[in-house]
Amino acid sequence: MSRLILRNLTKKFDDVVAVDHVSLEVEEGEFVTLLGPSGCGKTTTLRTIAGFYVPDEGEVYFNDRLMNNVPPNKRNTAMCFQSYALFPHMNVWENIAFGLKMRKVPEAEQKKRVQKALEMLSLVGFENRKPAQLSGGQQQRVALARAIVTEPDILLFDEPLSNLDAKLRVQVRVEIREMQKRLGITSIYVTHDQDEALAISDRIVVMNQGRIEQVGDPHTIYLYPKTAFVAGFIGIANIFTGRVREREGNRVLFESPFGEVWIKAESFEGRVGDEVKFSFRPEDLVLYREGMSNRIRGTIVHAIFMGDSTDLFVEVKGQRLRARGGNMAYGGDVLKLKPGDVVDFGVDETAFRILS
Amino acid sequence: MDQKKDVSMIHYFMILPGVGFIVLFLGSSIFITVAQSFGLFSVTGTSRFTFANWKTLWERETIDSVVFSLKMGVLSSIGTLLFAFPVGLFLRKGGAGKRFLASLIKIPLFIPALVAAFLILNIISYHGIVNEVLLALRLIKSPLRMLNDKFGWGVVAIQIWKNLPFVLLIVSASLAAIRDDIIDAARNLGADTWAILFRIYIPLAMPGILVSMILMFIKAFGDFPITSVAGPTYPPSIALRMRNTATLFQEWDKAAVMGVIIIVTTLFMTWLYSRLAQVVEGGNP
Amino acid sequence: MKGSSPLLDTTPLHVREARRRRLIYGLLTAFFVITQIIWVGVPVLMAVLWSLVDPQHPWSFPQLFPEKLSWAQWAYVFKYTNIERALKTSYSVAPLAVLLSFVLSLPTAYVLGRKNIPGKKVFMLVVLLPIIMPGMVVALFLSRVFAAFHLTQSFFGLVLAHTLMGIPYMIRVLTTSFESIPQDIIDAAENLGAGTFVKIKDIFLPMVRPGLLAGMVFAFTTSIEEFNLTFVIGTPTFETIPTILYSFLGYNFIRTNASVVALIMMTPNIILLFIVERILKSDYLSASLGKV
Repeated sequence: MSRLILRNLTKKFDDVVAVDHVSLEVEEGEFVTLLGPSGCGKTTTLRTIAGFYVPDEGEVYFNDRLMNNVPPNKRNTAMCFQSYALFPHMNVWENIAFGLKMRKVPEAEQKKRVQKALEMLSLVGFENRKPAQLSGGQQQRVALARAIVTEPDILLFDEPLSNLDAKLRVQVRVEIREMQKRLGITSIYVTHDQDEALAISDRIVVMNQGRIEQVGDPHTIYLYPKTAFVAGFIGIANIFTGRVREREGNRVLFESPFGEVWIKAESFEGRVGDEVKFSFRPEDLVLYREGMSNRIRGTIVHAIFMGDSTDLFVEVKGQRLRARGGNMAYGGDVLKLKPGDVVDFGVDETAFRILS
Repeated sequence: MDQKKDVSMIHYFMILPGVGFIVLFLGSSIFITVAQSFGLFSVTGTSRFTFANWKTLWERETIDSVVFSLKMGVLSSIGTLLFAFPVGLFLRKGGAGKRFLASLIKIPLFIPALVAAFLILNIISYHGIVNEVLLALRLIKSPLRMLNDKFGWGVVAIQIWKNLPFVLLIVSASLAAIRDDIIDAARNLGADTWAILFRIYIPLAMPGILVSMILMFIKAFGDFPITSVAGPTYPPSIALRMRNTATLFQEWDKAAVMGVIIIVTTLFMTWLYSRLAQVVEGGNP
Repeated sequence: MKGSSPLLDTTPLHVREARRRRLIYGLLTAFFVITQIIWVGVPVLMAVLWSLVDPQHPWSFPQLFPEKLSWAQWAYVFKYTNIERALKTSYSVAPLAVLLSFVLSLPTAYVLGRKNIPGKKVFMLVVLLPIIMPGMVVALFLSRVFAAFHLTQSFFGLVLAHTLMGIPYMIRVLTTSFESIPQDIIDAAENLGAGTFVKIKDIFLPMVRPGLLAGMVFAFTTSIEEFNLTFVIGTPTFETIPTILYSFLGYNFIRTNASVVALIMMTPNIILLFIVERILKSDYLSASLGKV
């Protein structure tokens, strides 16, 4: 069980800065996800924690121990790979026992621990099979068993679910999270799938081009994005640049490409004339009702039925806005909308987020 | 493979030219070898089925030759592997210097076996450059006899020099097929360099290793020109003995027995090769 | 370099270690390269030097290099040995053997490459046998078979024997070529109305051309290098370059003559095969299991 501290971690490959002064503190037992698009540095960071890369600048600490020069086979970390990386010439039992063998754990203890891991991951009966004889989901479980059986200080996940089909992915990610909670091992999880990150993390680290954009729990990341990147990467967002027109206490009137909006902004320090980016979620763009702070008239361009909700593309003063309505929420009102309809929408002033 | 259309009779006829030619000529040669070993189709006129020729198998000289050839086969295959495996490991990851190195190493592949025999015997001869350098460096007091020596080191040296690229090609393909993340996983789980070598690299490359060793063995076991040029006066390799028995002593029947020994050994090793080739195709996902 | 003494060197440990690792790595590569150059270069160099030794100034023991170089040995070999006839024989048997190999291999390779014939694995193994079987056994007893048909000491017999050795390479390479033609292309052609003849002329032949070239070069060099079969079936009536080289290596070891013939044999080989390596994908090189 370990805390993980990254301080100013930097890693370059030739001229490319893959990880750019990343600092992070992870508590014991926490499940932290590194989330971002390809090339954002999340995998490089993970591999540096594992010891496969030596940092060019900055430090990696497990509790108080500086790990920079500790080789990967001497750290007590265990990694689950995207491709599972099971040893093809060993059967399930030997794969799982491998880490224990390397640590010279006595035979009797090995047997006990491997047996327990098999039970925990419903692999009993598969001991003698080779990886080639297992399905994707089963291979994934063996990779997991192999990792946890060594009782590592830190568990590392490198997009372990990418190769599974969608339904299985949703099911397995919950199983991983529950197991991790039961065992209480500090875990770092890398993914580009934001649904996955939102569903299972204690905290999410959103990364972009080697830097951290924002760190926070899933609620905060989704509801209170700090930058345009985070707002746009997690879920869908309407992002616009507005100019401050008026200030009234903690309410600000913005002039934006699609019209004027009143935004409630607690700690906003901008003055009249300042240009600022803001965002709001499609589910906050609702059909107008009396008393709403903002009224926006737009024309429906597309109405896309998604099953439980409908995605609307709305054109307002030449700008494209996205709205999303639950299909039962208005007693079916959303379902009646067709392309060409001119509709009044509303957004509550508390729904906007001011971005940096 | 994408869908193949149905197979019809005409396709069997189309196979005939290539495969048929081989079966015809190779088959008749092997047939005659076996037949003559049992006294049939005899050169000397009287043909009758007999086991008499097979007492050659127990003759001192035959046994000596077979043992010598086995020795050459085993040493050549182990020797080439010992050189090829580390180089194969080294070449696993790319790099500019390495590509140049790889083309350099391949050169003996393009040199005919007989020429290779000459090139090497030229430098390992009594007054050849290898001896000169060793003497100059004071590593030896008098020149080593590496050519036509009783043990057969000259032959082994030539076989290793000539066939190193061949073994390297196969072994390094096997090693390169090992995915990097498997090595990472092993490291991550605590394996040090020796553990990775013995538990990951060698087992996963084993099919390729065995295939190349078997092929090398067959070549060295059944060799004629190299042992006749660089080998000891006694014992000759089994192929050399066979040829001399036939063309010098005109004892074709006895030679046929030796021929069968060579054929049986080769076929057995080929069978081993075909089993391993299947494993290679199914083994490394 | 940073700092003037190790005590004052402030570069972090991990950077220094990374630098050290790169240095070791570079040295190791350089070591291997130099070793390889000596390993391959010295034998070849020795052969070249020996072929150029001037007969008036024999090169012997204490000298590091021959005193005087001249083409005298080359002239001698061409004048007083059968090298010219051997060259003629070698270079007239080889093209015929290649042609015959091609004609015989083409239909076989087509079926093996594109059809799911039962027993394919067995056929592929049989195709390999001539290369695997030790040459002297095949040669010795094939000569018995040939003798019965008056094919020993004959040009045609030589061509047949060399074809036997060329077919395996030709089939292996052509099969790989045929296998790699995507079925979609053939379907598209048929869909557009192509008949059998057009398919062969405009699709199959052009697409197997690279493989064909590789196969021809392998079969050609195999024929030029072929020793055992020629030695038993051809000599003394027909000599080829390998048999002439052999004659200078046995009890009759004439180092200078042997050097010349070795170089004559080696040079076109290396050039041809280097061209194949460069121009074609190395799939073909491995498909033929390397030169055995």
